Amino acid sequence: MDKKYILVKDTRRAGSNQTEHFAGLLAAKIQASPAAEAVQVVRAADIGFYDQGLVLKFLPGGPVYLNVSEADLDRVVRETVVGGRVLEDLAAAGTARQLRVVLRNCGVINPENLEEYIRRDGYRALSRALFEYTPDKVIEEFKKSGLRGRGGAGYPTWLKWHLTRSVPGAEKYVICNADEGDPGAYMDRSILEGDPHSVLEGMIIAGYAIGANHGYFYIRAEYPLAIERIGKAIEQARERGLLGTGILGSDFNFEVDIRLGAGAFVCGEETALIASIEGKRGTPRPRPPYPSVSGLWGKPTSINNVETFANVPVVMTRGGDWFAGIGTEKSKGTKVFAVTGKVKNSGLVEVPMGVTLRQIVFDIGGGVRSGKKIKAVQTGGPSGGVIPEDRLDTPVDYENLQKLGSIMGSGGMIVMDEDDCMVDIAKFYLGFCVEESCGKCAPCRIGTYQLLKILERISEGEGRSEDLDRLRLIAQAMQKASLCGLGQTASNPVLSTLNYFETEYREHIQAKRCRSFKCRDLLTYSIIQSKCKRCRQCFLNCPVQAISGDREVGFYIQLDKCIKCGKCFEVCKFNAIARE
Amino acid sequence: MVRATINGKVVEVEKGTTILDAANQVQVKIPTLCKHPDLISSAACGICIVKVKGSSKMLRACCTPLDNAMEIITHDPEIVSIRRTVLELILSKHPNDCLKCGRNNNCELQRLAADFGIREELFPKYLKDIPKDESTGSIVLEPPKCILCGRCVQVCQQMQDVWALSFLERGFDTRISPAGDIKLGDSPCVRCGQCSAHCPTGAIFEQDDTARVWEALQKPGNYCVVQIAPAVRVSIGEAFGFKPGENFTRRLYALLRRLGFAAVFDTNFGADVTIIEEASEFVERFKNPSPERPLPLITTCCPSWVDFMEKFHHDMIPHFSSCKSPHQILGVLSKTYYASKYNLDPARIVMVSIMPCTAKKYEITRTDEMFASGFQDIDIVLTTRELARMIKQAGVDFPALPDEDPDHILGDYTGAGVIFGATGGVMEAALRTACFYITGQKLDRLEFSETRGLKGVKESSIEIAGNRVGIAVAHGLSNVEYVLNQVREAVKAGRPVPYHFVEVMACPGGCVGGGGQPYGVTDERRSKMSRGLYEDDLNQPIRSSHENPQVQQLYREFLGEPRSEKSESLLHVHYKARPQYRK
Amino acid sequence: MKKWSKSDLDKIRASREPDRDWIKVGMSTCGIAAGAEAVFEYLRDEVARRGLPIEVKKCGCLGMCYAEPLVEVRAAGLPQVIYGQVNRELARLIVENHLVEKKLVSDHIYSFNREE
Repeated sequence: MDKKYILVKDTRRAGSNQTEHFAGLLAAKIQASPAAEAVQVVRAADIGFYDQGLVLKFLPGGPVYLNVSEADLDRVVRETVVGGRVLEDLAAAGTARQLRVVLRNCGVINPENLEEYIRRDGYRALSRALFEYTPDKVIEEFKKSGLRGRGGAGYPTWLKWHLTRSVPGAEKYVICNADEGDPGAYMDRSILEGDPHSVLEGMIIAGYAIGANHGYFYIRAEYPLAIERIGKAIEQARERGLLGTGILGSDFNFEVDIRLGAGAFVCGEETALIASIEGKRGTPRPRPPYPSVSGLWGKPTSINNVETFANVPVVMTRGGDWFAGIGTEKSKGTKVFAVTGKVKNSGLVEVPMGVTLRQIVFDIGGGVRSGKKIKAVQTGGPSGGVIPEDRLDTPVDYENLQKLGSIMGSGGMIVMDEDDCMVDIAKFYLGFCVEESCGKCAPCRIGTYQLLKILERISEGEGRSEDLDRLRLIAQAMQKASLCGLGQTASNPVLSTLNYFETEYREHIQAKRCRSFKCRDLLTYSIIQSKCKRCRQCFLNCPVQAISGDREVGFYIQLDKCIKCGKCFEVCKFNAIARE
Repeated sequence: MVRATINGKVVEVEKGTTILDAANQVQVKIPTLCKHPDLISSAACGICIVKVKGSSKMLRACCTPLDNAMEIITHDPEIVSIRRTVLELILSKHPNDCLKCGRNNNCELQRLAADFGIREELFPKYLKDIPKDESTGSIVLEPPKCILCGRCVQVCQQMQDVWALSFLERGFDTRISPAGDIKLGDSPCVRCGQCSAHCPTGAIFEQDDTARVWEALQKPGNYCVVQIAPAVRVSIGEAFGFKPGENFTRRLYALLRRLGFAAVFDTNFGADVTIIEEASEFVERFKNPSPERPLPLITTCCPSWVDFMEKFHHDMIPHFSSCKSPHQILGVLSKTYYASKYNLDPARIVMVSIMPCTAKKYEITRTDEMFASGFQDIDIVLTTRELARMIKQAGVDFPALPDEDPDHILGDYTGAGVIFGATGGVMEAALRTACFYITGQKLDRLEFSETRGLKGVKESSIEIAGNRVGIAVAHGLSNVEYVLNQVREAVKAGRPVPYHFVEVMACPGGCVGGGGQPYGVTDERRSKMSRGLYEDDLNQPIRSSHENPQVQQLYREFLGEPRSEKSESLLHVHYKARPQYRK
Repeated sequence: MKKWSKSDLDKIRASREPDRDWIKVGMSTCGIAAGAEAVFEYLRDEVARRGLPIEVKKCGCLGMCYAEPLVEVRAAGLPQVIYGQVNRELARLIVENHLVEKKLVSDHIYSFNREE
């Protein structure tokens, strides 16, 4: 009999971690059972379930038991460990699981090894497209799949290809938009680093479908490893005839070049991206004409995101119908999110469309790291908005997020807890947009700046009652009158925080109070004499000598000197510093 | 054709027509701050937004083509409120300098603010103190007043192919500046002033020299003389509510005397002299071309073009006419011929040129050859816009002035001289005289319609005494490269050159569209002004330069033959390559 | 280099992957930032020094960035597991306990809940 392994983990959020206790108990019971020699009990660092009490995971092959009580352990040993029978009442069910379509090879294959990619079905999709499908049939397959652009706007991929294909002309281009710039989002980087050939294969298929013979990877220069790996992948593909003339013996020719972005967020906008590749100042231009009609060098051009391309080979190998079977009615397939912020397990998560935000944050992300109450989830980066706790049960898809005042965006997802101030969050994103506005159109160039100034004032305690109306006025003008998507959405972080957390704004303006203690100018520190043990820690650690006194008379904070850095609050072991 | 409705009115327009233009057809005016009829829409200002039924988005009317069945709404409370907010945002980054701004009363931003009834500052101002750039001596850059509409950049890069102006920095800090943040005077700038002519605000404007003229006029002992360029007479009326193209030549003479000038000349006279010299030069080359004096001969009346050529096309120097521009010729003659004839001390003569042009301000000190009289031949250049201001300052009721004649020496002109102000005019005038020089006979044909009109490059060939004369006329500097390349390629391939005579004017439309002309120039106004000049030509009893009796007198009394030693030393120049990095 | 045709690809796919034991170290930006290079080098050298019949490989990001550096081990007779927050010391334990003694190392295994 093969040896079995049981992973043990106490996943309760509250209270002391009892993993060691339960593991010891279980090991002892097994030791006393007939299976003693055949099983190793192992304490896991993370068992993939959270807030599910004691979790046992049998390796290899399962099952997984959740919420196991001490009393269950005998049963588990008798029935499952010795008897090999699954206890249905304990078996895991109903928690969201990741589904790896885009990330199918990430972390699995060596990204620099072409053969490993091919063994995992790599370039099968390309072979199929070239030898079994006409370009129109390829597009048809994508129409079936329902795949929509993963860069944020969710435009149907097949339609973009179809439009580009329909424009007459021999010279057309495919561009891979790898200018990922949302704060906190790095899905595209990971895909390029972990599975570059899948993106390349997707791009070649796109070229075949629209009738382009040249593609460009537009990658931000801040991604050196991604650039290196995609560069190697291109080289390998070229050497083996997966790029170049007569690909795989067909009559299709395709070449690819890399262009580096200099780090401007706006160059992720397609017309600005094209300008950047052409060597011009990276600013958007009005559409129409859309790039599908007049794109790079004035030729029909299809611009697709990294994650979109990574989906392409799967759609081709497994079929559009299979793909359309995943997700919701209007949003098909999976979506990769970069879950960060106050979440326990920050990282990349790939789930089918339609999973709820709560499932992503709690079932997969492990909940809030600090154990505090979750306040909101921010999606869509600086173009998105915050979604408050009471809306977290919304299934994630393009339309739902938009209804909530946010957007899917490229897939950044930032978890916020009670320590996050919504004014501060809005200020952060506006600061980003002010930095990244290209300056071409007035509503965005000046609007973002005015918004930021108002937010700064509010967070400094200088807010005025008319400020909220001003914020809304500017935000609406920016939405309607900005030239590109960046400007049109740059006010979303303000509008959504204002929409869901107006009380917090009002507290800042009227009561001069920040309930999350983030807005430094609104805080006052003082020493609670009844709690102070006169240990001098605050006195010694204050960077500006704002604390005076001695052990005889006690210590006091001189408010005129205090810079509100919070150091005393941090170092006090007796909770004797009051922060208001 | 597409059919749609705008504010409920059915409109039918050519496919590709923008909503903005289509709206004009149904008497709807959509405001905009960045769109200019000369230019491709940059879509920068965000003022021209409109709604289309069925979409929550708003579209920019300036760059969105009208599509079939669209139902456009151009004005409703929401649209107007957003336009107003955008306008207030723009105003929050624009100084309240209206009262001391060169564009006061003539500013597109000011007008819009007035239309929207802006009465208070909704948003606090965040201005950046960027110093003025006065380094060109012709045009002044005042970045704090810039609203970043992008017109000047497009004008400089696309229309003029000069690439002096660009956007620098990003976001809120974006500003216009020569690339590399150098001074405009050190940049490729050729001072054509088209940027200033297209600027909607006071961010780029002509160097104001009116104070210097007032001072010169007041100073005892000065003998102030003045000349007016052809294009000025058909544009000055605009400043007083008249239509572009209306001819004010004789009222201008009266006006200038009222302002205190001792003698009033006409640049058209200088143009006639230019033609004598240039046509002689052409005939010489035409009969006997040589590597040193090759064909085609290229005109050099336009100082921006000369500057542009010396910087970027200096391989063409041998093709350049060495003849000075008309106002320089008049300048040097006023301080030599005129001075000696009337026994005046040339040191006391102050010569002022009224020009449609900002580059002329630079031309007058361009090389030592501009001091051929022993003094600075032209002392001050004013643009049409500056003259209009002087008229108003002087309290003269300009439209009501009686007609007067110019001073009869250096003042009488022919029809050939006056058409210098329109693109193709120099060519046409030169052909009239060149034909005579070649054939020795007066031609029955005086008009060369081949040279007229606003097409960017006009190529044609004309027959003179059995010889084919290839001509090309280019205006707007971006059209130059094509013409020059035709010549370069022919030379390289050993083919005969396609043209014998080439005219280049830097500004679209020629001088009527000059950078110093009244604001708001469009092709429609350019043609109206050109038409005004061609009418003046038609009305002249003498229409060929060589028939101008005063010009004949000048040669008899002073210069001798065309291209004589004297005229070479006074009226001709040399060129040198001054290469510069452009793009 | 020989250009492949469609059938060449099929041949590669049909050829059996060498059935070897391996250790994979996540070497994307997230892993490298957390110190994966040192772990990779240690494992590679240690495996070579001890002459263990196991290949040490690089791979991309598994997604559990909070637990980087990640080391996935497939050794015959043991379930395939992922160790997280691996440092040199833990890498030593993985070699000694997991590879040599054929026992899983407690307290460091990170287990996914996912379907492929």
